[in-house]
Amino acid sequence: MLHLLKIEFRKMYSYRTFWIVCGLYFITIGFSTATGMEFLKWLATLVGNFGSELDINRIPLYHFPDVWLNLVWWSGFFKVLLGIMVVISITNEYTYRTIRQNVIDGLSRWEFLLSKILMNVVLSAASVVLIFLIAAVTGFIYTPEINWKYVFTDLEFYPVYFLELFSFLSYALMLGILVQRSGLTIILLLLSYMLEAIVKANVDDFVPWLIPFFPMESISALVPIPFYRYAFQPIQDYVDPLSVAIAIGWAGLFNYFSYLKLTRSDL
Amino acid sequence: MTNVLSVDGLTKNFGRLCAVNNLSLEIGAGHVFGMLGPNGSGKTTTLGMLMGVINPTAGSFRWFGETPTQELRKKIGAVLEHPIFYPYLSGQKNLELNATIKECSADNIARVLEIVELTARKDDPYKTYSLGMKQRLAIASALLNDPTVLILDEPTNGLDPMGIAEIRELIKKIAAGGKTIILASHLLDEVQKVCTHFAVLKKGNLVHTGPVGSAGFGAETVEVGANNSALYDLLVAFPGATHVTRENGICYVTLQEHLRSADVNRYLFEKGISVDHLLTRKKSLEQVFLEILSVKN
Repeated sequence: MLHLLKIEFRKMYSYRTFWIVCGLYFITIGFSTATGMEFLKWLATLVGNFGSELDINRIPLYHFPDVWLNLVWWSGFFKVLLGIMVVISITNEYTYRTIRQNVIDGLSRWEFLLSKILMNVVLSAASVVLIFLIAAVTGFIYTPEINWKYVFTDLEFYPVYFLELFSFLSYALMLGILVQRSGLTIILLLLSYMLEAIVKANVDDFVPWLIPFFPMESISALVPIPFYRYAFQPIQDYVDPLSVAIAIGWAGLFNYFSYLKLTRSDL
Repeated sequence: MTNVLSVDGLTKNFGRLCAVNNLSLEIGAGHVFGMLGPNGSGKTTTLGMLMGVINPTAGSFRWFGETPTQELRKKIGAVLEHPIFYPYLSGQKNLELNATIKECSADNIARVLEIVELTARKDDPYKTYSLGMKQRLAIASALLNDPTVLILDEPTNGLDPMGIAEIRELIKKIAAGGKTIILASHLLDEVQKVCTHFAVLKKGNLVHTGPVGSAGFGAETVEVGANNSALYDLLVAFPGATHVTRENGICYVTLQEHLRSADVNRYLFEKGISVDHLLTRKKSLEQVFLEILSVKN
């Protein structure tokens, strides 16, 4: 396993695009999650009576336990950047035909795929760790009174955030392996949500129970939108086991499809 | 002793096109095996199947008497078609990556770069290399883990005459070290100069296989020159000659299969002519090759 990861790192280490895209991604999720409160304060100075009508310090965006879910939900939007990186990494192997040479040099096709999947795991885990650290630090900064019971509430969204990223990256990887051309794959990746929305809208009238089983839907349903709670509406502040099961199922299927395609085709 | 490679009934169809048809081959240890055939005859497809990148439609093959696995592939150095590397990585980094994949020591890198004379350019990105340098880097990569079998597919493609000569010397040197080499090429001259055995493929069918040296090369042509005007007529009268031509005072005699130049010499001497020029011209592989291809047409 470590051996395969080392191979993948050697491929990426001197690849500038990788560092730029990943750098942009981690900087974006890092900054945007860490500076939310400062952004609100800046907004308050800008809009005259913004602060007086709504005391920003009373919006518990960064209070434990809200901060955990809020930051996870927000950073989930940027996973598409990581998805694009995964697409570039796999379609490059087809464009340069290096996948062929890798197999000739002694990787099995499964090992090749596994090295990509492991990279997905690493990228997902890195995002989870980063957001967890930022949430912990900002939580301790902005929470007026630390109540340890709340500090440890809602932490289950972190493994679920990992699953959200990993399923999406597995999807991107599969798309790359099936399509093999970077431009087309990226377009399909970006359109996935929209295409699925169109299908969902049509299916909704006939078989509404099917909706949660759509791949993109299942991935987004993992982490519910938290902000309704600030409008005093109930939100789903727990992890739904069904959506977890569906997302795990899809992640497995995506990687299985990649495996089928890789082992059956000529490289 | 087990053969390095045994191929049994290997077949590959691409849709309706049969790229390789029921190919069976044996390659022994230490052979320099030339695979000949026109473009599109199935050479690269065959090698692709042997290296696990193309799934055979039917048939099987064994490396070192064992069912092929990726672990066996690590012991084989192979370059198929054209060199393939990551363009944004330097030659050195590409070889480091290959060493990681092959699970061999990176200590060899300096040595193989030296062999192919790329040491000076090792830290430049691969995409800045000329075609010849790319080819040589590919050979360096194939030599990286000191393989017992080397597969080279058109290794001198795109090289200048000096580069071709160098690669040839390299192949001979490697072969002298007891390694088995499989060399696919459409350059017959190349195969004749370095190979011990060869096979000819045509439209996916194996049409000939055997050693390069003696068998299958049929009749000899002998160049004869003598300071005697009767030479040509005497040669035409020679019962062992199948065909005689004359050019610039030299006669070219094609002999019947069992006869050699010594027979011509003896005949002329008996007729009272001493020759001052006698040269045996073995048929080149090119002629054999064209013959093989046209016969089976």
